[in-house]
Amino acid sequence: MSLASRVRTWWRALARGAEVDREMQAELEHHIASYAEDLVRGGMERNEAERRARAELGSLAARKEECRVAWGARTWDELRADVRYAARMLKKSPAFTAIAVGSLALGIGANTVIFTLAKHVLLDRLDVAHPEQLRLLWWSMKANTFPIDSYSYWGYYTDAPDGAEIYTSFSFPMYQQLHRENRAFEDVFAFKPFADLPVVVDGQAGMVTTEMVSGNYYQGLGVRPQLGRPIEDADDTPGSAPVVTISDSYWTKAFGRSPTVIGKTIRLNQALVTIAGVNPRGFTGAYSTQVAPDVFLPFNLQPVVYPIVNQSPLTDPKIWWVLVMGRAKPGVTDQTTQAALQVDLDAAVRATTKLRNGAKAPRLMVRDGSRGQNALAEWLTKPIYVLTALAGLVLLLACVNLANLLLARASGRQREMSVRMALGAGRGRVLRQMLTESLLLALMGGAGGMLLGYVGRNVIPRMMAASWEGPQMKSSFDWQVLGFAAGVSIVTELLFGLIPALRATRTKASGGLKDSAQTATHRRRSWTGKTLVTVQVTLSMLLLVGAGLFLRTLGNLSRVQLGFHPDHVLLFDIQQPVAQYQPPKDIALHRALEERLAAVPGVESVGASEVALLSGSAGQWELTPADNKGSRGTRPKTPGNIVSDGFFRTMQIPLVAGREFDERDTETSARVAVVNEMLAKGFFPGENPVGKFLVIDANNKKVQMQIVGICGNSKYDSLRKDVPPTFFMPYRQMSNVQYGLTYEIRTQMNPESLIPALRAAVKQVDENLPLLDIRTQNQQIAANARVQRLFAGLTSGFGGLALVLACIGIYGIMAYQVAQRTQEIGIRLALGAIPGDVLRMVLREAARLSVVGIVAGAAAALLLSRLVKSMLYGVAPNDPWTVTAAAVVLLVVALAAGWEPARRAAGVQPMETLRHE
Amino acid sequence: MAKNARDKHINLLQGTLDLLILKAVSLGPLHGYGVLLRIQQLSGEELVIHQGSLYPALYRLEHQGVITSEWGESENNRKAKYYRLTRAGRARLEAETRRWRRMAGIVGGILNATAEEA
Repeated sequence: MSLASRVRTWWRALARGAEVDREMQAELEHHIASYAEDLVRGGMERNEAERRARAELGSLAARKEECRVAWGARTWDELRADVRYAARMLKKSPAFTAIAVGSLALGIGANTVIFTLAKHVLLDRLDVAHPEQLRLLWWSMKANTFPIDSYSYWGYYTDAPDGAEIYTSFSFPMYQQLHRENRAFEDVFAFKPFADLPVVVDGQAGMVTTEMVSGNYYQGLGVRPQLGRPIEDADDTPGSAPVVTISDSYWTKAFGRSPTVIGKTIRLNQALVTIAGVNPRGFTGAYSTQVAPDVFLPFNLQPVVYPIVNQSPLTDPKIWWVLVMGRAKPGVTDQTTQAALQVDLDAAVRATTKLRNGAKAPRLMVRDGSRGQNALAEWLTKPIYVLTALAGLVLLLACVNLANLLLARASGRQREMSVRMALGAGRGRVLRQMLTESLLLALMGGAGGMLLGYVGRNVIPRMMAASWEGPQMKSSFDWQVLGFAAGVSIVTELLFGLIPALRATRTKASGGLKDSAQTATHRRRSWTGKTLVTVQVTLSMLLLVGAGLFLRTLGNLSRVQLGFHPDHVLLFDIQQPVAQYQPPKDIALHRALEERLAAVPGVESVGASEVALLSGSAGQWELTPADNKGSRGTRPKTPGNIVSDGFFRTMQIPLVAGREFDERDTETSARVAVVNEMLAKGFFPGENPVGKFLVIDANNKKVQMQIVGICGNSKYDSLRKDVPPTFFMPYRQMSNVQYGLTYEIRTQMNPESLIPALRAAVKQVDENLPLLDIRTQNQQIAANARVQRLFAGLTSGFGGLALVLACIGIYGIMAYQVAQRTQEIGIRLALGAIPGDVLRMVLREAARLSVVGIVAGAAAALLLSRLVKSMLYGVAPNDPWTVTAAAVVLLVVALAAGWEPARRAAGVQPMETLRHE
Repeated sequence: MAKNARDKHINLLQGTLDLLILKAVSLGPLHGYGVLLRIQQLSGEELVIHQGSLYPALYRLEHQGVITSEWGESENNRKAKYYRLTRAGRARLEAETRRWRRMAGIVGGILNATAEEA
């Protein structure tokens, strides 16, 4: 039994069908001729001999068929016949086919798009050696109990379920100590996604994203550059020659993949650095699995590339900013490692800094590092689950719709099935024929879905990124995604194809041939059909309520009282090179910029602030009233912003009392502050705060400032959060503005057309200063609500699709019922019913179907919408108006779908129907 | 099949056709009609193969890889497809022959039994 010969003959039978057929024909003809000759030799007459030879061999077609079967081609032949037949049937009803394939394609496409997102965000691991061994260090503390005074924290933190806060940034000296004392891990290394930096390559200026890495980073991750060498320990010592590595995509973008890039010198934020290596293609750094930073540089290059005034983050134990990762030792549990590291951390904290009185050292946590920090997942996990559920609902809806359509077709083909079975086809054979038809639909739908998924794979990443940024996530289409789409197609096929097929083949051969005997099966068919339509309405209701909730959320967000006027405001960032603008030159630079920009024709007013409003971030300060007697260390930090004199005027934040900042508030004058009403009420209840003093803790120095004005409440970092108590300080009175400022330009002109003039104005001050992240204040706000916008868009799209499908379903079932009951309706009319009654009767039936679905859908929506509560704004998950509106829309659609069949029923001619029977 | 006039000859036992075909082609390459003639001749014209079942059997055996085929010239200068035993076929023929002999011996022994012995 050689497998090779089996495969060879089988393949020949399939692929060379015509050739094999010719050979068989020749072989059989040879047989007949030889046999006939022998007969003639035996004395038989020629004609008789040939006739006899043919007769004994029997039908040549049958023999050839048997031979093909012997070569294992039978299943294939049948399948091919089935597919050909199915294709012909589908071609005969193009409307049905279009609806079926279209709705399936949309369902599968939506699922593919969302799976692509989910896969990259939730499943992708870092492209390094054995990512599963990597551990990221976290630490936790009770909210607002930071263990040291005058700290500054730069990095990720989030709320833990137990009310604690968990953090991933450590001070650099702590990392060094952990690294030196390391016994718990194979290796410990550090990294930090750093600022976007200006770069000049061959005279071309641009911006790059960066990641700072420790000297053992490449070794620890087990990554080899595809070109050149990695950053090594020797590169990460103070005073070593400045080298960097670059990502594959940046190599492509900026250097056209030229191998001469190794050893090339580029100017990174004014400093000359040499490119030592090019990272492999899939490597995205240790922080994120999504987008690779352009340039990787050793930590010790920080003073060269990004000099920071007053502080050195490499030595200052109060600046917590670097992430620490380790590679687990084989066979050692995380608990053991965690316990050992806790000892190391306690020692590191004690060795590098002084804890606040009575404060506990942070509690260390060893967590999975195979996906890096993966902040994106933290943020998107829930939305992705909800999206997956929504897409699943849509697909289910498409399946139910198809099952219903197929059921209707199957009962229309009852007679055909009966004939087939009467002629001897087994139930299994007929079932296979039916399933082939639905499989063909599923495959076409699946192919369409994959196409949609491929085309739409960038939609969500693009919607999730702010309009002036590039996408922040991967959206590549790989074999896993393809496999998923194919799998979904097959599963849907079984979901929608099996029930109608089983039902259709349950028919008795004899019964189906008699006209009158059909009633029984039909009653059952219509019962199943009604159930399916009810399910459709239920799912539609669910999706409509979801769409309603998210649309209302979006509406509420767009109507939020901002406390300032966002229209006609253009924003951009100016980040001056720190080395070139040592304080107080930086403040002078921005003063000059303000003046130039204000002089540009068309500019109404110019404001500047450290943080743009509604950008998702806020400056936080330790702030107390000067006469505060409360306990220290327990008060949460207070949001504050550093602004220019023109800020309030430009953003149109009203002044309630006192004055805003003006020419009186200079670098040398007494320090002043403006507070919002919320802060005034919270800090000075029942008093007039103007003239009172506040104390802030800045750079380890306590500074007193006098409140000179109170402004109206305005949103700061988040649309959804209530206005926080906020205070403002003039930037001229700060020791430096080394992180640059965001400029706000109010103009009545089209902002786009103003940009060249603004660029020119900035150029007059400094040739090399780029305008970064140019956007309007409204775009900035829109970016703040992007998750809600995405959900509103998707749920309305899905809801609309659901409505269309429900409409088709209701129309189908009502039209079918009317056709079935033509005779009964004829009799009713003949007995004196008026057409209006008949019309109402049919519409009542349609309404009844949909009301059941609507009630079920509303109940399901009430149960499920609580899950998205945290994503809603200004609307309760069980909002009665939304549910009512969805119900009304569905009911109207149901009646509209039932209208045409109802009219047809009312128009029945009694005499004709009665005569027909 | 049963209606065939030639079936007055001994009917083939189920499964023996394959064995006979293997034996026939083991003596030298044969085309389909030749296989038929050879079996009839070897059986002393006692056995007649139903012509309709010959070709499916040949194709089945080729599918199993125990015989192989190639086109050649027949004795009357016609193109004909010749079947030949493969190495796997020879092994199969030997095994099947042994099995058949054993079977025949056993069945013969049973049939030879008399009342006293039982």
